Amino acid sequence: MTFFAKFCIPFIIGAAILFIVIACKYISWLKNLPRQDLKLIAVNIFSFKSIKAVWEVICESLLHRRIFRVNRMLGYMHMSLAFGWFLLIAVGWIETVAYLGFKWVPLQGHVFFKYFAVLNSINEHKPLFDFVMDLLLLFVLSGVGLAWFKRVRSRALGMKRTTKHVAFDRMALSALWFIFPLRLLAESCTAAIYGGGSFLTGGIGILLSKTMSTYTLEMIYEPLWWLYSIALGTFFVAMPFSRYMHIFTEIPLIFLRNYRLRPEAKEKSYDNFEVEACSRCGICIDPCQLQSQLGINEVQSVYFLRDRRYNMLQQKIANNCLMCGRCEQICPVGINLNTLRLNSRTSMRNIPNEGRYNYLRGVDRSTGSGKVGYFAGCMTLLTPNTLSAMQKIFSTAREDVWWADKDGGVCCGRPLKLSGESDSAQKMIDYNTELFRKHNISTLVTSCPICLKVFREEYRLEGIEVLHHSEYILRLMKNGKLKVKYTVGSTYTYHDPCELGRGCGIYDEPRAVIEAVGELLEPKHNRKDAFCCGSSVANTAINDSQQLTIATKVAEELDQTGAAKIVTSCPLCKKAIKRGAKTQVVDLSEIIAENIK
Amino acid sequence: MKHVIVIGGGVAGMQCASELLKEGVKVTLLEKEQNTGGKLRNWYKLFPTYTPAEEVLSALRHKLTGAKNLTLKTGVEATAITPKKVTLSTGEQLDCDAAVIATGFTLFDARVKEEYGYGIYDNVITSADLEQMFVRGEVRLKNGAKPKRIAILHCVGSRDEKVCQRHCSKVCCVTGVKQAIELKRLFPEANVFNFYMDIRMFGPGYEEMYREAQTQYNVHFVRGRISEVSPTFDDKLQIKAEDTLTGRPLKMGVDMLVLLVGMKSNDMNSALVENSFLKQQPSGFMQPRNSFLGNVESNVGGIFYAGAVTAPKNVGESLNEGVAAARATIDWLARK
Repeated sequence: MTFFAKFCIPFIIGAAILFIVIACKYISWLKNLPRQDLKLIAVNIFSFKSIKAVWEVICESLLHRRIFRVNRMLGYMHMSLAFGWFLLIAVGWIETVAYLGFKWVPLQGHVFFKYFAVLNSINEHKPLFDFVMDLLLLFVLSGVGLAWFKRVRSRALGMKRTTKHVAFDRMALSALWFIFPLRLLAESCTAAIYGGGSFLTGGIGILLSKTMSTYTLEMIYEPLWWLYSIALGTFFVAMPFSRYMHIFTEIPLIFLRNYRLRPEAKEKSYDNFEVEACSRCGICIDPCQLQSQLGINEVQSVYFLRDRRYNMLQQKIANNCLMCGRCEQICPVGINLNTLRLNSRTSMRNIPNEGRYNYLRGVDRSTGSGKVGYFAGCMTLLTPNTLSAMQKIFSTAREDVWWADKDGGVCCGRPLKLSGESDSAQKMIDYNTELFRKHNISTLVTSCPICLKVFREEYRLEGIEVLHHSEYILRLMKNGKLKVKYTVGSTYTYHDPCELGRGCGIYDEPRAVIEAVGELLEPKHNRKDAFCCGSSVANTAINDSQQLTIATKVAEELDQTGAAKIVTSCPLCKKAIKRGAKTQVVDLSEIIAENIK
Repeated sequence: MKHVIVIGGGVAGMQCASELLKEGVKVTLLEKEQNTGGKLRNWYKLFPTYTPAEEVLSALRHKLTGAKNLTLKTGVEATAITPKKVTLSTGEQLDCDAAVIATGFTLFDARVKEEYGYGIYDNVITSADLEQMFVRGEVRLKNGAKPKRIAILHCVGSRDEKVCQRHCSKVCCVTGVKQAIELKRLFPEANVFNFYMDIRMFGPGYEEMYREAQTQYNVHFVRGRISEVSPTFDDKLQIKAEDTLTGRPLKMGVDMLVLLVGMKSNDMNSALVENSFLKQQPSGFMQPRNSFLGNVESNVGGIFYAGAVTAPKNVGESLNEGVAAARATIDWLARK
């Protein structure tokens, strides 16, 4: 039996290039993984985690469950292309086995089976396989149709804006769009001349044989298979250099992620898996407030990852991000977008100046003593209402407090971290850690979510419980140490700070605290979907009036709830929203302090 | 007889009303407070001559008393303004032939700059509060003691993007100098520090006053904004600032902090724009038709502006604009 025809050459070359490039990429990425990561793989590879990863690959890489959550049509489109194509390959392989039994057939033999079946004079037909293969082809074609439709009307698929693509993407995309229609034509033409095929290819085959002469059909027969092969070959060549690299990269990524590999403060080889797993689906564009509220179009995560991947990342792109995490929580591939952007910033501008931090040595302006430490943070010191409210809460609850920075202290380090100066940030982290240890506290309370996040994630504070003041106040109320009065008719709305909500997963505690004193009216965007106030310290690129534009939009929604007061639990958010709101803006601690029984 | 409605009974509005009356026009003067006088009612003395504010006000009031063509309506606000009709907050509608808007400015709310602790710490006061203390004749700390160290902070709510006030309020610099001198006259032993970004002494006699404050009264001037204020255990205020001339951060304990609050565009301006075809500047102040030859005219024929409704102005400038707006109104009525 022969399984070679000249038209297979583009396909074979394409597949070979694809295989070689991907193999090279994987080998170099895996080889350069840090020892720690390799150890994690070795420990976890033969464990339940691998089975979990397989299941996740099925759910995400094939079925695209997370995209379904964004929009059902969009989910169907991705699923029909990925899962449909996978099934075509899998069932196609079973089909060859069904016809030829278990014997080695080269790759093109499987892919162009309909052609080779004719060539090798296999005259029997298996209607069941014909039917299933036609059904699957229709399934994939429906996805291609939706993809075409999405070009024209993306809104119908739940996307206001779609990604602007680079040349390789366009090439791969065009090839992809033609692969399945060409396959349909080639197989239909085969059916027209030689019979076979089911409702789809067979049906079109009958139509073709009725409308065209046998001579014409035989004239276009070979060229159609050629075109199909060229489309496949083109797609394969473009694939590892385009966004379609994600098809293969997401699979190892899922495994590695299940083995607990994560991107870190400094760039490392593992990041390649995350960066190239981005399919540039563009789902991250719509939630970005820089896009929707300021019309900035070139900085979103999809473009950041693209630029980083092709080594053309500029600081002005990397720095122009609020790090609010709205894109990260919707990303269907689950890429750690914020961490990647931060380690890019770190590689681009981490120039520690040793002399600048000499003042850290030996400074200790802390006051008081107690097991509970309170770290106000710079922003709380600039919103002293919060500070005095906390003072009142502590004294009512009769808590002995060690005040870490009331008379001035050292920054938590997060703002420096966010701007990419992670080595300098480390100096502050070390300083504060030592200070906390020295004063022997067992609980550390802060009213600033920015500080909270870095305390929880970067500080090594074993033995010290780190609490946001919302958690702490709720605990005091539950313990009966703090009694507050509920006023019927008093209404509040709550703004979720990014660093507290999406950053630390604290949504319920502040709400429970508010509901102890009055009624809570939720704004339209809340919890995971909450807006950023726009004044994020992570963004050093936008100017003040752009910050204000965002703040005004956010405040508008909060004002619309009709609540008497806007409550937030971040001093930075408070200051930002205050600029745009008609309603009074207060910190969570303030409403508690004024309602103490 | 033509009828003109003047909205706002501050210095500009009163001046404008009296000029219109001279021309034989029937005038209705609207004032939202119970008394005429506007912001000046709460002021003690005026720079640079230390003229009592009351003196200016009583002269203006004197011009208006007994005028038979004047209707004074106090305790009412205008909610919608057209050249033909003005709607009042009471729902009443007044027909007219022209209207002059002299609603002035809103004092910047120092609570917005929470880091300065106004409304949180005792002894953090605004320049307006200090004038009231001067009027009452008792400048004292909350505990009744005399202040010994006083800081005066310029540009609170002016030239500050963070609170959406990009403009310079113009009169605070000289007010700060005036108040520093007045404080030194009251408490010669006290140390007074002015924290400034730039000192802008634009008017006649102002620069001389600034010099006098330094040479004669030994008022200290520190170039740098205060970043934050916190209380100390002995009930004083600790201020953190940067001395930008020496390039060093500084901390200082004071027992009184005076915030020189700026002029914000009138809070009512936005509502005014919503209900009319009038235009607002990006700063929130109303937009005159033209900065030179139409600076007391609005973009709507028959509606005029006088005073600080279009930009921060001092008392003298506002008085002049009252006259200019009256003149422009008369011309317009004659052309009609």
